[in-house]
Amino acid sequence: MKEINELNLPGDIRYAEDHEWARLEGDRIRVGLDDYAQDQLGDIVFVELPQIGDTFEKGKEFATVESVKAVVECYLPVGGEIIAVNTALEESPELVNKNPYNDGWFVDVNPSDPSEMDDLMTNAECLEKLKGAD
Amino acid sequence: MQKETKKTPLYDWHVAHGANMVSFGEYEMPLWYPAGAKKEHLAVLTKAGIFDTSHMALVMVIGPDAFELLQLCLTKDLYACVGKDKSPLVPGRCVYGAFLNESGKVIDDAILYQLEHNTYMTVVNAGLGGEVARHLMAYRDRRNVEINDLTDKIGKMDIQGPMAARILMKILVDHEEVFKDMLYFTFKGHFDEASPLADKVRLIDGTPLLLSRTGYTGEFGFEIFVDQFHLVKVWEMIFDAGQDFGLLPCGLAVRDSLRASAVLPLSHQDIGPWPFINHPWPFALPFNPDGTDFTKKFIGNEALKDIDKPEYTYAFTGYDLRKVSVCDQTIVLDSEGNKIGLVLTCVCDIGIGRHGDRIYSISSPDKPENFKPHGLSCGFVKVKSKLDPGQVVELKDERRKIKVMIVSDIRPDRTALCPIEEIIEQKEKRL
Repeated sequence: MKEINELNLPGDIRYAEDHEWARLEGDRIRVGLDDYAQDQLGDIVFVELPQIGDTFEKGKEFATVESVKAVVECYLPVGGEIIAVNTALEESPELVNKNPYNDGWFVDVNPSDPSEMDDLMTNAECLEKLKGAD
Repeated sequence: MQKETKKTPLYDWHVAHGANMVSFGEYEMPLWYPAGAKKEHLAVLTKAGIFDTSHMALVMVIGPDAFELLQLCLTKDLYACVGKDKSPLVPGRCVYGAFLNESGKVIDDAILYQLEHNTYMTVVNAGLGGEVARHLMAYRDRRNVEINDLTDKIGKMDIQGPMAARILMKILVDHEEVFKDMLYFTFKGHFDEASPLADKVRLIDGTPLLLSRTGYTGEFGFEIFVDQFHLVKVWEMIFDAGQDFGLLPCGLAVRDSLRASAVLPLSHQDIGPWPFINHPWPFALPFNPDGTDFTKKFIGNEALKDIDKPEYTYAFTGYDLRKVSVCDQTIVLDSEGNKIGLVLTCVCDIGIGRHGDRIYSISSPDKPENFKPHGLSCGFVKVKSKLDPGQVVELKDERRKIKVMIVSDIRPDRTALCPIEEIIEQKEKRL
């Protein structure tokens, strides 16, 4: 298990309470699971993603992640329509463990209200919260 | 006051090697190491893994009446328990059974070893040494027998997987003699230097071991008992010897996935405070040949014969690797959607998969070309009605429903019973 100071929490993305991340890429928002979550879950063996065209409000369950240890739901950090899903995770769910912020992304969202990004935590805020919980 | 957690002598080693440590019973134990549970699981199926099992408890039962007491308390007929022809227990042999209370409910399951005439050792689960020792004391009556809980004196580790013998060959004195006639559920040697048995199995540095061809993974391998003082050293010797063979240290996560798909129960989860009958482990009970009666009387036997509302425990296999989370609300539904029972264990065996209408393991000799297992969920359910292998039921937790099939076995082509000479030869060819 990583120590808090070993966690990779890049500064160019925002973090939700449940350890989803969101990154603004042009006019879409890419979403995934952060380093803390993948480390806690252990080897991820299956990721159940939504369909392109599905829409979710902010905070609604949009994906399920299955690790050797547990099954957890993921909540969409920013509401909107799913416009892309990472199909590579079907064959290689371990990408979420190896590279949670790049190859291990989950979905792209066309946000209905881009300002919802502002409600999410910065990496510094996320780190503070983790330190507080430890 | 917070209860202090216990550490095994290998705690520092686990931490230094990056293990993810969790509380398990009273102990801090590794859940997995940096390789991850998936690689650890596959290592045991195809190469080898080592497990720190020194949290398990060990109770010695010694004296002229030890046999009689154990025959009364263990669910195995010690006069008829060894091999196909059911011969009596003898020194060098061990058997699997359970200790029950008068209501036929499980106190714990156990492996009973006969070390010498009048000398027995029983290995039970973490934290239960005291309870099993007290249970034996309670039924001792006027029998001439001593009962000693040696839990914190003896260390234990398991090496499991097809390369296990090849690895031990590098560090055992006279491995040919040690491995000779070493069938499944036999053992040799002793952890106590003072025992005349100690010379039967020694490491090249002289450390005496009790080496047992048993395990909790369904794969070929050994359980090793050693004085706790030597445990870290022996662990490191095996770890070093295993580096050329793909040996990985393995945590509790894969212990659970490997044992469940080998149809082995976890005490107080798959067996527990309910009658120990109508389950996939009839070999742990002293049934007569046609299964209509027991061949001996034992604590709990009357209760097992007279059950009002029987419940049945079955193994199941899923259709993909998705699991349900096991809690009291996780239920079993029949084809009409009626609740018929509870899920006891649900794990994923990442080393097996379906191909056509068959299940193969990554180590199946006849697996299809390019077979890549995606994993299957599996485990145990306890239900109110009798089911047959092949019947499909649904498991439902608060998140999802999964279809699973009731089965008589889960992971195919396990190596636990593979003759020792054969597995050494096979692995020599492959190297």
